[in-house]
Amino acid sequence: MRVLVAEDSKVTRCLLVSQLREWDYTVVEARDGEEAWKQFQEQAFSLVLTDWIMPGMDGLELIRRIRETDSEGYSYLILLTAKSEKEDLVKAMDCGADDFLVKPCDPEELRVRLREGKRIIQLEQKLAEQNRRLRETQAALVESEKLASLGQLAAGMAHEINNPIAFVTNNLAVLRRDLGDMLKRMETYERARPYIRDAPTELTDQLDQWAEDGESDWLRQHLPQLMQSSSDGLTRVRDIISNLRDFARLDRAPDDSLDLQTAIESTLLVLKHAIEEKNLHIDSALDSQIAIHCRPDKIHQVIYSVLLNAIQASDSGDPLRVCLSKKDSEAVIEVRDQGCGMDPQTQSRMFEPFFTTKPVGTGTGLGLAVSYAVVRDHKGTLEVDSELDRGTTVRIRLPLAPDN
Amino acid sequence: MSKTHSVLIVDDEPDVLFSLTGLLRRDFNVHTAASGKEALAIMREHSINVIMTDQRMPSMTGSELMEMVRNDHPDAIRIIFTGYADTRAVVDAINRGELYRYITKPWDPDDLLEVLRDAAARYDALAARADLLKLLGGYLDDAHQLGERCGPSTLPEPQWQRFREQTQTLRELHQQASTAIYD
Repeated sequence: MRVLVAEDSKVTRCLLVSQLREWDYTVVEARDGEEAWKQFQEQAFSLVLTDWIMPGMDGLELIRRIRETDSEGYSYLILLTAKSEKEDLVKAMDCGADDFLVKPCDPEELRVRLREGKRIIQLEQKLAEQNRRLRETQAALVESEKLASLGQLAAGMAHEINNPIAFVTNNLAVLRRDLGDMLKRMETYERARPYIRDAPTELTDQLDQWAEDGESDWLRQHLPQLMQSSSDGLTRVRDIISNLRDFARLDRAPDDSLDLQTAIESTLLVLKHAIEEKNLHIDSALDSQIAIHCRPDKIHQVIYSVLLNAIQASDSGDPLRVCLSKKDSEAVIEVRDQGCGMDPQTQSRMFEPFFTTKPVGTGTGLGLAVSYAVVRDHKGTLEVDSELDRGTTVRIRLPLAPDN
Repeated sequence: MSKTHSVLIVDDEPDVLFSLTGLLRRDFNVHTAASGKEALAIMREHSINVIMTDQRMPSMTGSELMEMVRNDHPDAIRIIFTGYADTRAVVDAINRGELYRYITKPWDPDDLLEVLRDAAARYDALAARADLLKLLGGYLDDAHQLGERCGPSTLPEPQWQRFREQTQTLRELHQQASTAIYD
């Protein structure tokens, strides 16, 4: 444990330091309050041993300042002094000192007092660690609750939307086909127009008017595009629904054994176009013969989503590292990019369905949410480490097939 | 393409019926029904080659309807179209031999047309096979009698023997095939 010793008397200081080192403390010395404060600001100490009377900043002031900082973890402060009156002790403790030792101090007493400090620091650290774990567990609970209720909502929605999507898609296909015919008929009428002599003038006038306003040209040019864009839009809605179904685990297919090396390689091949477009350098280290028992289509989808995210986050020419290894009874897939990364706010929401930072139309906000759910269903874990502007690492752990 | 086949679509949602009529009207004579009961009534009135039904409907489900169609109109080709969630029931129906195909909702219009054309072609093939079997029965009976009556006087002995044996084999095969097709 690191100890900061502030003492202006060289003799006392050396004595203290040598004793402390003997008891296996890592000691940093300061010749006065000023220097001690500087050391503390650079890196906080859990244990501080300071003289009271020092030139410049005295021990009390040092203690006051340390108490005012909100450094992580507790600092146990012991004041050394020749003063022995009761009022002095009260004053020192009031300032924030934890303990008070009268000089010249007996080495044995110093040792046990320090040990007391060390014990309290360790208790405090243990408590902090427990608190941290509690917060993590709570966050995970909230997350899984949220995802579960969203999943139910999604399931209901997917079912309800499916039918209208079905007939609207069909209607569009019919319209597109029949519209082509209509346009052809219109064209024939227009070509026949000069030969129609016996028609009433109000009809022929109307036909002439239509020929002049150029409306039919516009229709001919743009109607197919309107249709196309509408069916593209519907295809997107259909994909979202199908993703939602996956997220909510509506469709179950039988499990099968999947070789992860093959799965990753084939997915990289599928994404070849996107990778080459950005001129990314794929650095892959894939161990062979790692098989898991899973729903192969789902795991493929997870690998695809994670790789696509990494590709989209990367800048042109960036390296992209893909690793597959075996650790204990798990397969570990790691995808590391050096792209844009995510700030803590984005990270806190990245598993939420429909949360996306990609431009409108390029991401559905379901990739990571679905991946999370799929990996969870396979009794695995999906972790994301990310730093803004530094890149992101996604680590997926999946239980190995029993025969591995 | 002239419309030679009749298709019956069954769905409780009128929008779906309307939409599919639009898609199929050029290739098929399209009949529609909003329930299983209505569908059975139409099948008694008209000759239907392909029947395609939704799985999820109030009162009678698609697979229940198909079971009845299979009994009453075994020639009709049976297709179910369904949302993903119903897959289990439909797979069971396929395994019981009640279905030709199933199509998921939302369907792809081009794929659907393709499936229905295939179904119509299958209907024709099965009908042709049934006709063939029927005609072949009479023909083989004739051939058998001919063989018995002519005797070796009209044909050299080995050829006559071969003709009789082949006729016998074919009649046996025909017997088997006729019982197998409508089990």
